[in-house]
Amino acid sequence: MPFEQAFRLSSVLLAATALTGLLFARIVPAWLAAVTILILTVTLLDAIDWPPGMRLAARMPASPILWNGLLIGAFALFLLDAAIISGEMLPAGIHFLVILLGIKLLTLHHRRDYRHLYAICLMALLATASLTTDAWYVPVFLLYLLATVWTLLLYHLTGQTPRSVPTPTGRPNALPNPRRITGRFFWLTNGIALLTFALTLAIFFVLPRVSAGLLPKSRGEGLKTTGFSERVDLGMIGSVKEDPQIVMRVELPDQPAPGKDRLYLRGLAYDRYDGRSWSAGSRHRRNLGLIGDGTFLVRPSGSRTPSGPSDQLRQDILLEALDTSVLFAAPFAESLSGEFAGVQADAMTGLHVPYPASSRIRYSVTSREPRITADEQSARELDYANAVRDRYLQLPELSPRVTELARRVAEGATTPYEKTAAVLQHLLNGYRYSLDLETTASARPIEDFLFARKTGYCEHYATAMVVMLRSLGIPARLVTGFLATEWNDFGGYYTVRQRDAHAWVEVYYPRSGWITLDPTPASGAVPSPSGWEALQRIGESLRLQWDRTFIRYSARDQLAVVHGLRDGSDSARDVVGQWVTALRAAAARTLDRVATQTRTADPVAGGFLAVLPAALLALLIVLVRTRWRSGLFSNRPAARAQQIVHLYRRMQDIAARQGIVTGPSTTPMEFVKLVGREWTEAGSTVASVTALYCRGRFSGAALSREELAGALEQVGALQHLTRAAR
Amino acid sequence: MTNSFSQTRIARIASRLRRLATRRSIRLTSEGTRFLLLTLGIGMAAINTGNNLFYLLLAMMLSLVVISGLLSEQCLRGLAFHRHVPDLVMANDPTTVTLSVTNRHAHLPSFSVKLFDVAGGQDLDRGLFVGHLPAQRSLLLSYPLLASTRGWIRLECIRAETLFPFGLFRKRALYQVHADILVGPPIKPLSLRFVDELVSEGQGLSLPRRGHGTQLYNLRLYQPGDDSRAIHWMTTARTSQLIVRETEAEDQRRITILLSTVAPEDRNFLFEHSVTLVASLLWQLSHRSYPLRLIVGREDSGLGSGSDHLLAMLRLLALCERRQPGRSADDAADQVGALSHDAERGYTVVVMPWVDPDRPAAPVAADRVLHAAQIEELTHAF
Repeated sequence: MPFEQAFRLSSVLLAATALTGLLFARIVPAWLAAVTILILTVTLLDAIDWPPGMRLAARMPASPILWNGLLIGAFALFLLDAAIISGEMLPAGIHFLVILLGIKLLTLHHRRDYRHLYAICLMALLATASLTTDAWYVPVFLLYLLATVWTLLLYHLTGQTPRSVPTPTGRPNALPNPRRITGRFFWLTNGIALLTFALTLAIFFVLPRVSAGLLPKSRGEGLKTTGFSERVDLGMIGSVKEDPQIVMRVELPDQPAPGKDRLYLRGLAYDRYDGRSWSAGSRHRRNLGLIGDGTFLVRPSGSRTPSGPSDQLRQDILLEALDTSVLFAAPFAESLSGEFAGVQADAMTGLHVPYPASSRIRYSVTSREPRITADEQSARELDYANAVRDRYLQLPELSPRVTELARRVAEGATTPYEKTAAVLQHLLNGYRYSLDLETTASARPIEDFLFARKTGYCEHYATAMVVMLRSLGIPARLVTGFLATEWNDFGGYYTVRQRDAHAWVEVYYPRSGWITLDPTPASGAVPSPSGWEALQRIGESLRLQWDRTFIRYSARDQLAVVHGLRDGSDSARDVVGQWVTALRAAAARTLDRVATQTRTADPVAGGFLAVLPAALLALLIVLVRTRWRSGLFSNRPAARAQQIVHLYRRMQDIAARQGIVTGPSTTPMEFVKLVGREWTEAGSTVASVTALYCRGRFSGAALSREELAGALEQVGALQHLTRAAR
Repeated sequence: MTNSFSQTRIARIASRLRRLATRRSIRLTSEGTRFLLLTLGIGMAAINTGNNLFYLLLAMMLSLVVISGLLSEQCLRGLAFHRHVPDLVMANDPTTVTLSVTNRHAHLPSFSVKLFDVAGGQDLDRGLFVGHLPAQRSLLLSYPLLASTRGWIRLECIRAETLFPFGLFRKRALYQVHADILVGPPIKPLSLRFVDELVSEGQGLSLPRRGHGTQLYNLRLYQPGDDSRAIHWMTTARTSQLIVRETEAEDQRRITILLSTVAPEDRNFLFEHSVTLVASLLWQLSHRSYPLRLIVGREDSGLGSGSDHLLAMLRLLALCERRQPGRSADDAADQVGALSHDAERGYTVVVMPWVDPDRPAAPVAADRVLHAAQIEELTHAF
């Protein structure tokens, strides 16, 4: 393919890549996308000259007035878009950019137009980068980089038309220039692109991360969630139970494989129930204390730690941008670290950031989930504090049937623990999980659930359990959060989606603390994992890696790398030092032994030791010569051409030693004549090798390995030939 | 003592640094400036937002800059040059200079390299361009050289310049490839009548010599450049070697031309015309196979004939310099006087672009003296 055609093609492909990024970002309206794709297709077909001779784009009217008018129109549209249609500068600017791209593609007449196109493409990629953090940006970026290298290279090469300077011979000084894409050029350019990519990665990781925030950052809208506001109506969570959007990813650094098949991620707890909705009695939040290195201590210092057994669990959480300021963690968070200006905790240890994040946030949490102690399991009565009784035994006006049901279920249970277990079993076994509920709000949803429909979802189960426990005098509260069940084997983390939103119950034991219980039975609609899902999980895992390595890469990571390198170099230095010491000791021992053996006057060993260095030297020479010979028989014709030149020079040296000295201006044929006259015995050998030299060096024809081997032998023989005295 | 030593060292270091600086230079092209401005803009956006994808884009642009530097260096590093120039060129007569360019790099080709001659610290664009030179390959470039004045032309270096790979930077490298070219005076056509007059005036001062004629002068081995019509076939057949026949010249006059180099500055123009006149005369006479001798100032070519002798005389003319009047030792009249004792001088022509009006005219023992008026007349068409 000629350079000019390849240049047009790569330019259009660059534009295609830039447009693809914007299309993936879903910011371009369908009509505009369709028109631009159409233009792109036409210019692409023109670039590859298909159908031959058509050149549709070239036939476009070239009147500058028309195109300038179009540009003015596009700008007016941009103003209208920014003011009325989109109402925002960024989308309007991107729409304008796409229109400019389309116009420019149709008016690629001069090199100046190509430069404009490249600037537009760069802006488009920049806009894409500002709109997304998704992993699809990777292929777009890679393609863009590849197209950029090709385009810039061809832009330069097609612009370097040599001037034809007439010479006395009548030929211009323009050198034989391929000006076509050869195989070598193709691989060279791709090699440059690969090198550029490697360097890009290196620079990316080394560039100091400074976020000055000179201009205010717009706060994007987060993912809409339900169940994490001040007040939660029964039935709210049901609306998101089919939503597959990812909310967060949770890694367990201490557990490469999940220890359990489900992980509760606690959001908010609610203590007041008014018969239809839950709310928190106290809205007070306290700021968590910072204990250094961005770590916040969740449990107030001096507070009493539950005395029962507990399991510690560390989690690394990557939370998508949500419309809530709640931070999620496995119950119950003890410490939290991340790049937060501040973290707050409410009265029921719900964690909050000051305002909803505009982008993904990453944080680590250490949780400790208490287990009920054996004595509290068997205690007939538990001594609850008044504050606890007041707050967690509150009940709205309920139908006496609920209290009656609770008593009947707990009949026979003698301890609070047994009563709790009885209520839990009753709900788990006696009711059916279903999302197919009427959305119309019921006046008494719990009574409907317990006695009428007997079907519901997590909120109904959890509320019913809290109400029944409270009616039995056991303090309990409702908790909303997420129930992670989708473990990604490839990435080693839980994927948490909107549909994993969940509600469950926490029951209070004075010494064990709050114990998590979930009365909701498993949903029967769990899809079986398929091959497609496995692929999805791989993609999901790659996305997480992308996010972790590139999107979340920060100055802290850079510092960690530096520390790691420093530690690594320290340990490497130690290891090398140990090696050197060991080697030195071994060498000293060996020398000592050698000296002793020499002193014992063993003539054989002494002789061997004397010969050893010479033998090693000889071996080295043989190796070097073998290496040279192997180079001689290289498969590359260029290398063989080099070798024949080397042989010819060697032959000249041999002749010079015999007194036949040639000057720099002596031609090969003169050399042959001279040797033939002065050293008859060597004449034929020199003529033969010189003929090979001339052919290998000047004809461009490759020498065969056999010819080269023959020449080598002849030159070797020449070395032993002595010139007869004259 | 110590001061002068340290000054010498400093001067040496400064000279080395200067040489190093001139050997490589890098400049932004207009495209490169725009590219860097865009890079700067993206960098500011990255710093402002802390968006890592902006940083990625910034890293890509910076890496393109770095790759530009690396590849352009690779493009220039392996180049080697060798210049072939003729021994003597004539002023105003285009001649061909050949430049051999070799890419000594083991693997990487060189792309789009422009070459300049560097003379007097100036880059001279000869339109030399290497579009593509594969690794381990050479190519020959030639270009016309037109010298306007006689004397030495010194081509100091070759400057190679490339925009490869992306056209963002103009990288230049200097290669020390000296070449000195001697430029002789221009050869102009002379009036045939004038030359014939000269030829016919010096009858009688003859020696047997080689030249155009019919009588056998000598037989000798054939040499490249000999007229093949002169091959003596019978002797060639007998000896199995190519033998050519030389004939004895029918007119056998020896001619000595003396050029006076004394002239005031305002006569420089006429002096140069005199040099051109002498060169053209020598050229004409040499082609008629006359034994010639040229005396320029204190330089004497001696008597001789043939192309080598002609070149030697032209070299004398190429390098002769005008001298201010007042140095009587250089006076042409004195030299002609000295020549009068030389029996082999033959027919003597003196070219005097200027005669001192304040000095009495010395008796000039020349057969023909060309003064300013005649020189002007003969050279008005030059």
